[in-house]
Amino acid sequence: MFQHLRIKSKITLGLGAIVAIFLLLLALAYNNLSRLSTANEWDRHTLEVLLETNHISTSTLQIQAATRGFMLTGNELIIVPIQEEEAEARAHLARSRALTVDNPHQQERLGRLGPMLDHWISNVINPLIEKRREVNRSLGVSQQVASANDVLNGTRAVADIRKLIDEIAKEETRLLAVRSKASTELQQTMFLLLGGGGLVCLLLAAIIGALLTNALLGPLNSLTRAVGRIARGDQAARAEVASNDEMGKVTVEFNRMAQAIQDSQAKELAATNELRAKVDALLDVVSKAASGDLTGSVAVGGVDAIGRLGDGLGTMFDNLRRLLNNVQKAGIQVTTSATEIAASARQQEATGIEQAQTSVEVLSTTKEISANTAQLLRTMEDATAVADYTTSATAEAQNNLKRMDLTMQHMVSATDSINAKLAALSEKASNINSVLITITKVADQTNILSLNAAIEAEKAGDAGRGFSVVATEIRRLSDQTSVSAWDIDQMLKEMQSAVAASVMGMDKFSEEVRRSVGEVRQVSNQLSSVMDQVQKLAPQFDLVLQGMQSQAVGASQISDTMMQLNDATQQTVESLKATSEAVYQLQYAASDLQSSVATFAVNS
Amino acid sequence: MKVLVFSIGADRYGLRLGAIARVLPAAQLRQLPLAPPFVAGLMDLHGEPVPVLDLSRLAGVTPLQIWFDTRIILVDYEVGGKGGNSCVRPLGLLAEHVLGIETLIEADLADSGIQAAPFLGQVAATGAGMVQLVELAQLLPLDVRALLFATSAVAP
Repeated sequence: MFQHLRIKSKITLGLGAIVAIFLLLLALAYNNLSRLSTANEWDRHTLEVLLETNHISTSTLQIQAATRGFMLTGNELIIVPIQEEEAEARAHLARSRALTVDNPHQQERLGRLGPMLDHWISNVINPLIEKRREVNRSLGVSQQVASANDVLNGTRAVADIRKLIDEIAKEETRLLAVRSKASTELQQTMFLLLGGGGLVCLLLAAIIGALLTNALLGPLNSLTRAVGRIARGDQAARAEVASNDEMGKVTVEFNRMAQAIQDSQAKELAATNELRAKVDALLDVVSKAASGDLTGSVAVGGVDAIGRLGDGLGTMFDNLRRLLNNVQKAGIQVTTSATEIAASARQQEATGIEQAQTSVEVLSTTKEISANTAQLLRTMEDATAVADYTTSATAEAQNNLKRMDLTMQHMVSATDSINAKLAALSEKASNINSVLITITKVADQTNILSLNAAIEAEKAGDAGRGFSVVATEIRRLSDQTSVSAWDIDQMLKEMQSAVAASVMGMDKFSEEVRRSVGEVRQVSNQLSSVMDQVQKLAPQFDLVLQGMQSQAVGASQISDTMMQLNDATQQTVESLKATSEAVYQLQYAASDLQSSVATFAVNS
Repeated sequence: MKVLVFSIGADRYGLRLGAIARVLPAAQLRQLPLAPPFVAGLMDLHGEPVPVLDLSRLAGVTPLQIWFDTRIILVDYEVGGKGGNSCVRPLGLLAEHVLGIETLIEADLADSGIQAAPFLGQVAATGAGMVQLVELAQLLPLDVRALLFATSAVAP
């Protein structure tokens, strides 16, 4: 019955049912509680009535007790509360009546109690009090006047009142028992209701939940199964539509999708078949064309790939037909051209013969060149000989220069040794100088000695005259020595200056020699480079010579070649004849081609 | 009369041989600071200090150099003491171009006629030129004599 409801409605319905059951349970519980409350009210009411009756009974006993006291003592003070008690008893009575309005038996009893009380007070109590007051006035207060009758008088009335009150109390007690029982029953009902109702609610909730789950998950499972089947390849698989809710809609859509997939696959298969048919048709045409029949037309057309292929093939066949036509035409043209070629070959043959004559002329010219080259070759050989001589002469000059260099070096070393000797001479002169200085000193000393001797001789007077002569002689000798020494000194100085000059001259000379050596070396180097150049010149001459020789050889080769050319020209003429033959063959071949092309059926 | 001939400047002078003790070569002299310029220095004569006078400087001529024939003429100089008691002290005279000894004839000696310096005496003409005598007694002024021989004058 839920199949046509939406999921939201299903959930709302299920939860709503559970809430409704709970609400019902709550209503029942409330009803029972209110009844329990009422029963309690009644219990209290009964207890109030009992309390009121007790008050009445108490007041009655108070009145009786006060009267008896007054009777005993005659004291007025004792009967003062009687009025109050009476009023109170009456008030309680009225209240009891008001409380027991709903109970007619109790009303009737209370109605009887009122007159009884009035009767008792007016007929028993009041006369007793009046009687005692009379006694008080006549006999005095201390006198006891009450007889047993007086005391017992009214006891019956009180007993009646109390009996009635007891009846009322009994009635009320009975009512209380009845009401308590009812209340207990109510409580039990309450427990039962709550327990049973709770259980029922739980059961109902479980059932609703199960129903809801079933309603929601059933379609989903069905859908999952269908998807699995489709995935395994079962195209016809469909999900069962069990409800009209959202899941039902999803299932319907899914089924539609599966149907669409199946339809599209079927469509694809049909297209493939159609394509295969078209390709077969095309293949037929193509195989016919392959066997030479180009008359087949392509029926396949359209805008798809096969259609375009068919169109392309059709165009291609058209082009092929045109080509074959052209080839047939070309065959005819080739034939005519071959004829023309044959004519020109004959013309070329004539030209070849002319060329052979020209070659003979060239041959004679080449022989002349060869002779000239041989003469040139001899001249070059002479030049080479001169270059060789130059080389050897230069080498000799270089050797001479080397010898000169050696001599120069000897001279340098000789100069050095002369310099050394001059230095030794200078040293010797210095030694002589020192000896001379010694001699001078000795002469000086001798001079002084002679002077002193002369002085001493003078001092000696006549005895020293001979000594004086000796002294004079010594002085003369010393003077001569001094003069000689001075002369030697002068000579020595001259010699030293001469030696110094010689040294300087020798230095200058050795410097010159060194410079000459350098120049000689430079010249030698230049000569070497000249010799190198000359030596390089010789191979170059050789190269030229070789070139000349090869030129001579080349000239003779040219001559040979010209002869060969002549032969070749003859051969060319022969070849041209052969060409004419070949052209004839070409003409035959062209006609063959024409016939071959004609085998193609081209009915365009 | 024999004299020792030497030169002062370009001129020749003579010194009597009797006054001369010895002729010595020109030795190294110890300089005497603050002494008059003609005092050449102090000579060491066998351990005895002897003052030496430069005759050229004394005559007012500055000598160019020490020549090879420049000598020190050692003389015995008479120092005039007080009251006539005189003593002889050695004194060196530095003289240039000590040429030798010449003999002068007494008769040739003549006064020069010009008293320029107190120590220059008579003049004699020889073959080699004129020779003027140097008088040793007038050689030193008194104050110089006192300066050079002060201690020795007091000592005896």
